[in-house]
Amino acid sequence: MSSEGREATYVESPIIMTTVRVVAPFVLAFGLFVMFHGAESAGGGFQGGVIAGAVIIMLAFAYGIEPTREWVGSSLLAIAAVSGVVVFAVVGLGAIVLGGGFLEYSVYGIDHASKYGIELVELGIGATVAGVITALFFLLAAGFDAEEVDEA
Amino acid sequence: MLSPLMATLLVFVIVTALVTALLRDVLAVIIAFAAYSLGISIIWVLLQAPDVALTEAAVGAGAMTILLLVTIAQTVRTPGDRLVERIELRPLAVAGAFALAIGATVPALPRVGDPDAAVHADAVTGTYLAEAYSATGVENVVTAVLAAYRGFDTFGEVVVVFAAGAALLVVLRREVFA
Repeated sequence: MSSEGREATYVESPIIMTTVRVVAPFVLAFGLFVMFHGAESAGGGFQGGVIAGAVIIMLAFAYGIEPTREWVGSSLLAIAAVSGVVVFAVVGLGAIVLGGGFLEYSVYGIDHASKYGIELVELGIGATVAGVITALFFLLAAGFDAEEVDEA
Repeated sequence: MLSPLMATLLVFVIVTALVTALLRDVLAVIIAFAAYSLGISIIWVLLQAPDVALTEAAVGAGAMTILLLVTIAQTVRTPGDRLVERIELRPLAVAGAFALAIGATVPALPRVGDPDAAVHADAVTGTYLAEAYSATGVENVVTAVLAAYRGFDTFGEVVVVFAAGAALLVVLRREVFA
């Protein structure tokens, strides 16, 4: 029943499909730029992650939510959502293991450790945010099946 | 005092906020809310807070609008008999009192760019601005504070974002993200 409603909301439009096909790589590049370049200019993992996640949402609007959902796959989203938390925890707690404080990048003993460490952490934040934003979109689009709940 | 652009934006934001509160059609409300977020994000740019502006534009005007649209796509749109919501006095009184209480604190805020404001005069700000580049090697002080000085808070924020996804799984009784 909810799937019928979803099909009704999707309109296959060559204009939207072509536009998204042209624009999507640039949006993804911009999202990654905002993520990577957060150390030098405005932006960072949170903003870049949302922009990168918006690429998937754009594809879903152009090609339909169900095909995009199957194309992306739930494991990719789960890995992205978890990886940011794991990267942050490993970088942060690793410094404690090496005898420093939480996120004390300098104990890693490489050149520009804090700069690279910050960028790694920002990328992790971006992965989590992009994964969760996309997941929220797919979950809300799938909606809530009242009958399933009654059976449960 | 106020530049014409800023005054226009402030009026625009207040009008879109009122429209968001008053309109009855949910789709129109979502569009008005997106316009409100866009106006706020331009105000952040004018106040020279590009990081906040980028967040407001991406999350407030972008992601939030899409998530709300996807949600109301599940609902049935009732043919509206009225254009605006009926205004009830008691919620209006509560909202008015809240706005007055918040508004009463505004004169206590320092002027924008006031050199004697606590945030400028405080030693912590000076330390961050003076040492952020030499200590962390990143040019954006906001990022330095976010991912180095206040990294533990940011770690908490990432966990909150992750928890939001997990919470929606629990609410919708699903086990996979897609």
